[in-house]
Amino acid sequence: MTLHVRAPVDRSTLVVPILRAGVVAMELCKVPGHAEVAAVFERSFYLRAGDLFVCVGEPAIGNGPLTLIAQTRAAEIGLRPGQPAVISASGIAIGAVMLIYDRYEPWQPPRWRQTPCPSLLAQARDAVVLRAATEAPVEGFGRAVADSYEPPTAFARMARKRLARLQSWLVDTIEERRAPAASPPDPVRNLVGLGPGLTPSGDDVLIGALALLDALAERHAHASLAHALRQTPAGLTSPLSHCFLRTAAAGHVGEHLHAAVASLVSGDADGAVAAVRNIGHSSGWDMMAGAVTALTASIRVSKGA
Amino acid sequence: MSVVLNEVRRATYFDSIVLMRISRQVTQLTGVEEAGLMLGTPANKDILRDAGILGPDGETAEPGDLILALRAGDAAAGDAAIAEARRLLDAPRESAASSAVNVFRTIRTALRELPDANLALISVPGHFAVAEARKALDFGLHVMIFSDNVPIAEEVAIKREARERGLMVMGPDCGTAIIGGVPLCFANVVPRGDIGVIGASGTGIQEVTCLIARAGGGISQAIGTGGRDLKAEVGAITALMAIDALDADPGTRHIVLISKPPEASVARLVLDRVARSAKPFTICFLGASDLALPGNARAAATLRAAADLSLGRAASHAAAPLVRAEHGKLVRGLFAGGTFCSEAQILFARAGLPVASNVPVPGAHALAGAHDSHIMVDLGDDEFTRGRPHPMIEPAIRERPIAAALADPAVGVILLDVVLGYGAHPDPAGHLAGVLGIRNGGPLVIASVTGTDGDPQPRDTQVQKLVEAGVIVADSNAEAAEMAVMAVGKSER
Repeated sequence: MTLHVRAPVDRSTLVVPILRAGVVAMELCKVPGHAEVAAVFERSFYLRAGDLFVCVGEPAIGNGPLTLIAQTRAAEIGLRPGQPAVISASGIAIGAVMLIYDRYEPWQPPRWRQTPCPSLLAQARDAVVLRAATEAPVEGFGRAVADSYEPPTAFARMARKRLARLQSWLVDTIEERRAPAASPPDPVRNLVGLGPGLTPSGDDVLIGALALLDALAERHAHASLAHALRQTPAGLTSPLSHCFLRTAAAGHVGEHLHAAVASLVSGDADGAVAAVRNIGHSSGWDMMAGAVTALTASIRVSKGA
Repeated sequence: MSVVLNEVRRATYFDSIVLMRISRQVTQLTGVEEAGLMLGTPANKDILRDAGILGPDGETAEPGDLILALRAGDAAAGDAAIAEARRLLDAPRESAASSAVNVFRTIRTALRELPDANLALISVPGHFAVAEARKALDFGLHVMIFSDNVPIAEEVAIKREARERGLMVMGPDCGTAIIGGVPLCFANVVPRGDIGVIGASGTGIQEVTCLIARAGGGISQAIGTGGRDLKAEVGAITALMAIDALDADPGTRHIVLISKPPEASVARLVLDRVARSAKPFTICFLGASDLALPGNARAAATLRAAADLSLGRAASHAAAPLVRAEHGKLVRGLFAGGTFCSEAQILFARAGLPVASNVPVPGAHALAGAHDSHIMVDLGDDEFTRGRPHPMIEPAIRERPIAAALADPAVGVILLDVVLGYGAHPDPAGHLAGVLGIRNGGPLVIASVTGTDGDPQPRDTQVQKLVEAGVIVADSNAEAAEMAVMAVGKSER
């Protein structure tokens, strides 16, 4: 039996139409039930229903698989963490706020573009790495991809080593020397939950690597990394970040990351950098570090071949 | 003796930038030797443990919890640091915990957080703008003044002061710039590249940078000068400094200069400086004729031509569709961008068509008494925006004029501009589609969309909304105006 909860709408209710919904976020809307506000930021807030987190935010945050885009500014509608939300067939009621989704557009990223020749890919990678050395935040993994960058902290030195281990594992995996393991391999596991940020930097690295492998149609490597992430115990990272990892492992990434990786694999380094700048403070550059690591692994294999 | 103190916040989420900022602030507190602010994942607890700052409280943290861990020189310093950290974590969300933007009360405190900053953006009521700009200059910062209503004498004074210090003042009334790849105020997301743009017109800069970007080019820097910089009183102080800067910039290959036609003395000043450069220039003095240009410069009659010349090829490739107005024979242009309104007037005048405007260019007539003329209205002009937001921010200003044009049997074409990017309305095409509604016959609606697919309002989806609403979308404002000219019977092409 499906439980239909009728959300109250009265004069004091602030009605906020949902404009676009990502493929996973849409699932939340389809199943009546309960959720709660997990976090409130300036431009967005997160709803949590079980282990699913959905981000509701203004158009400028960009579309994503877990995102509902609404014409509202989260900080101005009076929500607070812990507030209960009721999901019904017509909308989500949170206190005096009613998110309605009767006319939203589903969102999913466009197909990946065809990739240019390996030499152009290498040029784009080198250009991005050059920019990362000075433009990525000092926190996180962003600068660790650049050999010219002298890691100033213990964390930065560790970040570089862990990227190297991930790259080495990806090379083997792209060459199909490794079958999917029953438990996540150390080079993947050791990145999960590692580093600063709302989504730990290591998680962002893995999501970026997944996106790049998908864009290059490195199917075996993508499947292996996705499998490893699905095997990763939930307790290794925050529930929110684990949700992002699961979603990425299922093949879904956000608009800005998609744009960054699409630019990178089409040889447009400037476009890639412009796109990562739209993703959080350090998350975009962390994702780019993962993408660059995976791209380097792919180039190494193709050169070897 | 050193002490280790931990604070654990259960299931607490902050923006990454807030976490990192608070982490830095706590690390810099007096007596603090080491500090970290991270989610309590096993990997992060390993890091904190290795650093010797994870205590018993921190060990209990779950992956969704936030750990503040620090080591201080003594108990008093540790207690003070924890108290300050708690204050920062508990600060009101609008000012600290959730904002992606740091808020500072003074330029001095902002510089403490961003010691490498070299540019201040001033957006305060015009009466106070020059005083704030002067403070910024005192700190050795270049200045962008978004504010308008600054007397021209003050503009001249502050620009001269800045020039003496080797600093540049963009503005007043400078609404658009792209510096170091960062769009400022009303600007678009464009790739970095080797074309530098200097403009006295915000929408002019936006159109040229977007056309270049959509054609595969990129922008090194786009420097706004403010609308009055090339007036005789100001003497192009900022434009000349901008030319110096881009001339010396190894990342800039070609320089585009956009302005209304300056007075002869200022034009000579600017073109003499251009002549001393080894770089090629495109000069787009909209509406100017018979410009005596140096050998390294070429004239662009339109913003589109400026983009084309800077690229060395056509920025737009698709041929404009031929359309004919069946309804009436007059064109009604309703523009958010003043430069677009001017550009359209220029193209109509060049085609020999009578045109009138509330801000007429040479060759156009004033609106009063205009009969049987094509009309171009700048809805961003003061008469429409006094006490109201600019139509690029709030497009509702256009609703009534559009309704009037749709109902006017003499109007065969409605000509519109849609401007995207930071600062602009989040969905101008959606708004326009709603205003136009479902039409059966009536005037043709032709629009240009200034923006890129990387903008907060991606251009491709904005164009799609307009097309679905029956709007003919041109690649540029110039092309839209030319299509309108052709639609009512004349062609310049």
